[in-house]
This record gives sequence, C-alpha cells and structure tokens, in this order.
Amino acid sequence: MTNSQQAPGDAAPPSRGKIAERLLPGGEEPDPRFTLANERTFLAWIRTSLALLAGGIAIEAFTSDLFLEPVRKGLAIVLLLLGMLLSAGAALRWLRVERSMRNKAPLPLPLIVPLLAGAGAVAAAVVLVFVLWR
Amino acid sequence: MAPSVPAGDTHGDPGLQPERTSLAWGRTMLALVTASALFLRWLPHHGLPILLLFAVSAGAALAIYLTQRRRYGAKSHGVSREHVDADITAVIWTAFTGIALGVLGIGVVLAG
Repeated sequence: MTNSQQAPGDAAPPSRGKIAERLLPGGEEPDPRFTLANERTFLAWIRTSLALLAGGIAIEAFTSDLFLEPVRKGLAIVLLLLGMLLSAGAALRWLRVERSMRNKAPLPLPLIVPLLAGAGAVAAAVVLVFVLWR
Repeated sequence: MAPSVPAGDTHGDPGLQPERTSLAWGRTMLALVTASALFLRWLPHHGLPILLLFAVSAGAALAIYLTQRRRYGAKSHGVSREHVDADITAVIWTAFTGIALGVLGIGVVLAG
C-alpha cells in the first residue's frame, strides 16, 4: 500500500460524508491534533464506562451473600445506568467539542464530570449506610 | 513541519498524535476484551443471556482490532496533510456498544 498521492488542493473541498456533514456542519477544519486529542478523551470516557458496566454485572454476581437482593440489584442497575449514560454522554461531548473547535468557540463544560462524580458519591453513600446499618 | 517529509509516508509529528490515538483505541480494545472475559466468568451465575453481553463486547473488540491498521494510516496521512476527518462513525459505534451493554446488563440483572 502506498500513500504517496498528494492531498487534493484547496479548490474543491473533499466530501466529508453524509453523517459528518449533518452532525458537524459549517465551520473550518480544526487542527488535526485537536481532533485526535478529542477522540482520545472520548475513548478514555468509554473505558470508564466499560469499567462501570463490568462492575454492575460483577456486583450482582459477587455480592449475593453480602447484600440483600434489592440493594444488590439496585446498586447493579445504578452502575449499569451510569455506564450507559457515560457512553452516550461521551459521544455527545465529543460532538459538542468537535463543533466548538470547528467554529473556534470556547469548549463546552463537561456535563459528564458532575454526573460521574455525583452518581459515584451517591452509590458510595448508599453502600456506606447499608454496611453500617446491617 | 519540514517540507522534505513526503505526504502520507511519515507524518513527522513530534507529538506522535497518530500513535497515541491508535494506542488509545488499543487500550479500549483491551478493556472490551477484559469486559467480555468477565462476562464469561459470570456465565454460571447469570445464565445464557450473559452470552449476549459477551458477544457485543467481544465483537466490538474484534471490530477495533480489524480496523487498527486502516485507522493509523488515515490519521498518519491526515496529520501530514494537516487535515483529519473527525471519525464520527467510529465514535457513534463505540458509544452504541456501551449503551447496548448497559441495556442488556439491566435486562440480565432484572431477569436474574
């Protein structure tokens, strides 16, 4: 495989594909390094989400003699829901950052940060109360 | 960037952005492999439905593995010509994998 062909000139901008033109309209192409950095941040969020998803299934399987069933199931579902929301939120954030960079606008605040922190704190508090009172 | 670098052959980026991005995809692939191994581990507890979660995460890992070469090539070439197309399809599919695992997981927990 040779990649020796030159990039096309500025005269005719190449088509970016239907999905990209619909979801990332207008603006200018950002520095490719920023686009790649945005993608890596997205992937870091996805790995966090995967850890929560695996943890949700693990809680349900591993703690059957530790927690009552409603607590166990509740915690598992909280973790699974959080993992799901993080996956969706990571993609949404990737899109918003990419749009901001195209329009040279300030980057949006990450809503998934308070989501992860808040839900993590609530889950920890629930477990703490349960462990203290049982 | 040094003009002597031929476009596409080497990217000449001292920050090694294409490498770092490929490695980030590689780490995500390994996380998916780990998750699919854990799902298999809990097959005796959760029963056959857990195989669905295994299939989704293992399938996503395989998809990343099979596209790594092409992905690195596109990013290396893109950095050298100062234009990278945002990989929107890959982002959508990866996020969809996480959402699908969550939905299936909640189903398995509620059914079990």
